[in-house]
Amino acid sequence: MLNVSHLTKKYHRFVANDNLSFLVNDGETAVIAGPNGAGKSTAIKCIAGLLRFDGEIEICGHNNKSIEAKKILGYVPEIPAPFELLTVWEHMEFISRAYKLENWEERAKELMTRFELTDKRDKLGKELSKGMQQKISICCAMLIDPKVVLFDEPLVGLDPHAIKELKAMLNEMKAKGTTIIISTHMLESVEDIWDRVFIMMNGKIEAERTRKFVEESGENLEELFFNITEKNKSGADEK
Amino acid sequence: MNSILYLLRKTVKNEIIDTIRHPLKFLLYAFVAVSMLYGAVKGYTAGDDLGNSEVFSDPRLLSGAYLAVLFFISIPIMLKGLSSGTSFFSLSDVNNLFVAPISPKRILIYGVGRQLASMLVLVVTFAAYGGMIIKMFRVTASQALVLILGIALMLIMVQLVTLLIFCLASTHPIRAKIMKYIIYAMAFFALGTVIIYSFVCGISVENIFAAISLPILEYIPFIGWMHGLVFGIMQYDVPRIIIFGILTFLAGISGIIVLKITKLDFYEDVLSQAESYQEFREAVREGKFSDKVMMGNKEIKLRKRGIKKGSGASSIFYKHILEGSRRSRFMFFNINTFVLLFVAFVIGFGIKQAKSDIEPTIIYLAAMIILVYVQFFFSASGDWVKELTKPYIYLIPDGAVKKLVMAAATGIIKPFTDGIITFGLLAFVAGGHPVDIIVAALTYGSFGTLYIAANVLAQRLVGIDSTGGIFITFYMSMIVLTLLPGVVIGLVVLSNLSGSYGYIATTLLGGPLFIWNMIVSAGIFIACRNLLNNTE
Repeated sequence: MLNVSHLTKKYHRFVANDNLSFLVNDGETAVIAGPNGAGKSTAIKCIAGLLRFDGEIEICGHNNKSIEAKKILGYVPEIPAPFELLTVWEHMEFISRAYKLENWEERAKELMTRFELTDKRDKLGKELSKGMQQKISICCAMLIDPKVVLFDEPLVGLDPHAIKELKAMLNEMKAKGTTIIISTHMLESVEDIWDRVFIMMNGKIEAERTRKFVEESGENLEELFFNITEKNKSGADEK
Repeated sequence: MNSILYLLRKTVKNEIIDTIRHPLKFLLYAFVAVSMLYGAVKGYTAGDDLGNSEVFSDPRLLSGAYLAVLFFISIPIMLKGLSSGTSFFSLSDVNNLFVAPISPKRILIYGVGRQLASMLVLVVTFAAYGGMIIKMFRVTASQALVLILGIALMLIMVQLVTLLIFCLASTHPIRAKIMKYIIYAMAFFALGTVIIYSFVCGISVENIFAAISLPILEYIPFIGWMHGLVFGIMQYDVPRIIIFGILTFLAGISGIIVLKITKLDFYEDVLSQAESYQEFREAVREGKFSDKVMMGNKEIKLRKRGIKKGSGASSIFYKHILEGSRRSRFMFFNINTFVLLFVAFVIGFGIKQAKSDIEPTIIYLAAMIILVYVQFFFSASGDWVKELTKPYIYLIPDGAVKKLVMAAATGIIKPFTDGIITFGLLAFVAGGHPVDIIVAALTYGSFGTLYIAANVLAQRLVGIDSTGGIFITFYMSMIVLTLLPGVVIGLVVLSNLSGSYGYIATTLLGGPLFIWNMIVSAGIFIACRNLLNNTE
């Protein structure tokens, strides 16, 4: 479970996240949607414990910067950052050692097979394409079997097979009770996997919907998204 | 040509405006310029008063050191040129100029011209050291200027030779291999000649000085010729000026002619280099020294596979060991170690030659102080700095201090091994008390830890994302602040005990410094553990 309370992140005078509060339950997939510059990635980085912020963030009841929280948190950054001088397999080994995992080899092999990295096992990080690097990032995050996992624009740069595999994996994790948070500006790319959506604009959550609510009310999510984002834009233009 | 001139004019103008608009950048530039000018003026105008210490007065030492400097700056650039061309052009040149309807010859002239301009900056930087050269080697101001101009000219020649090598060899693997062997042969010929001569004639300061200034070394293409030309001018040796001047001139001209005849289409050749150079510039600007940026497309053979050891934070250290073994076969013994050894031996031989009955502790003291200064330039791109640019270190579930120490561990160990090797080998030249040698090595090593600690402190104060100029200013201030108390304590101990224990002066100054450096560094590591709480 992820609990974010009054999250505010400022860069000098610029407010990137303005008093965000939301809850994502176990086994739920939440999407943080919004146009470029809405504050999605900043929120994700705050949750991952990479940025300073005001407010509170709890990962399964633990402060997000605590060691307990880090043990159960997976994070797939927007820009993949593999170690240039480690092979693909050594990335898996490094994560297993850093997170003190046991019996990780089979899971690592399975992840590499699913993401078609098996034949790249002995390739160095610097020799891989951006897409392959993104796959390593995903495998590293998945290897720890996280209780909460954060994806920052995860589908950018992935090939169709990897996208299919990632979505299947997300569904499996959801079934296991993992809390999944995905940041994206392309709602259609996650339309078949989300349970809860937060639409962000100018650092604020302008709308929150559950799949159940949308299905029962017949509300068009895309229309809602554009109503919020375009209205704010035209409002800003008028000013 | 109009478009190129316009580009140059606008670039210079906008650079000046940009500097004026950023007061901190302007102040930093002004500060650096004034201090360099002050150093240069002081050195050049000091006259004989400063030259009284005849430490390095033997011209053969200057001759050998100068040849070594020419080799150090030329060979790596030429070897790199075999695989990736030259850095005459930036990526914006490639994207905008190369596709424009401008003659490739004119673009090449522009590239060489711009390189000349950047060399001018380098000449100014070297000029600041002119005063030091005058002082140390007892040369005149005009001779120091000739030495500096020689280095600048060498750099231009090397760029030209590199472009030529690349154009001739890029699509012919056999030619590339032959050229590689020729470059290696040049280096080994110089090194071999000095070593063989020294051994044959017997190892002594006199024979080593004779070896490093052998006239035959001046016949090594480009590097030796430049050395001959520079020293010919310095010594008003007209035949040498004519011979090596003509050889250098012909080399430059024939390079341009061969370039023109063989291949005018150099665009493809410089493209990959321009891309990696752009990546490198951006990384340096952002303070991110990734291996991809630093090593380019160098092929790495996977001799050892797997991290094998480590758990939690210590897995970072063992990962660094594995990465280090892939960067170079001997992780803790690399080109930096050779540079340190070279500097230490120049100091050792220089002082011994000037005064053979000098106390060995003075040699260690001088070497320690100078090498600590040299080490500062090696400490910028340690493993731990690279680690901060990736998310893993922040996410690993382990204690912050432990993670910080483990990430910095290879950077802490390396100066200690360098210190042991350098001072251990220097002991063969200088002799002296074993305690002095050990303390000199430990003190040198402790500065590696202090530099990292000062870096940590600066990152904590100004933030990891701060711009290069601001960060470097803070970093250097932190070094001075953290170092000062240790120096004061060391000097107090030295002045109080030198009467009875003058024969181990290095220990008297270095001992307290070593202890202080380690204590203050540990304190900084603990105090700044929150550095890993966020990436900012």
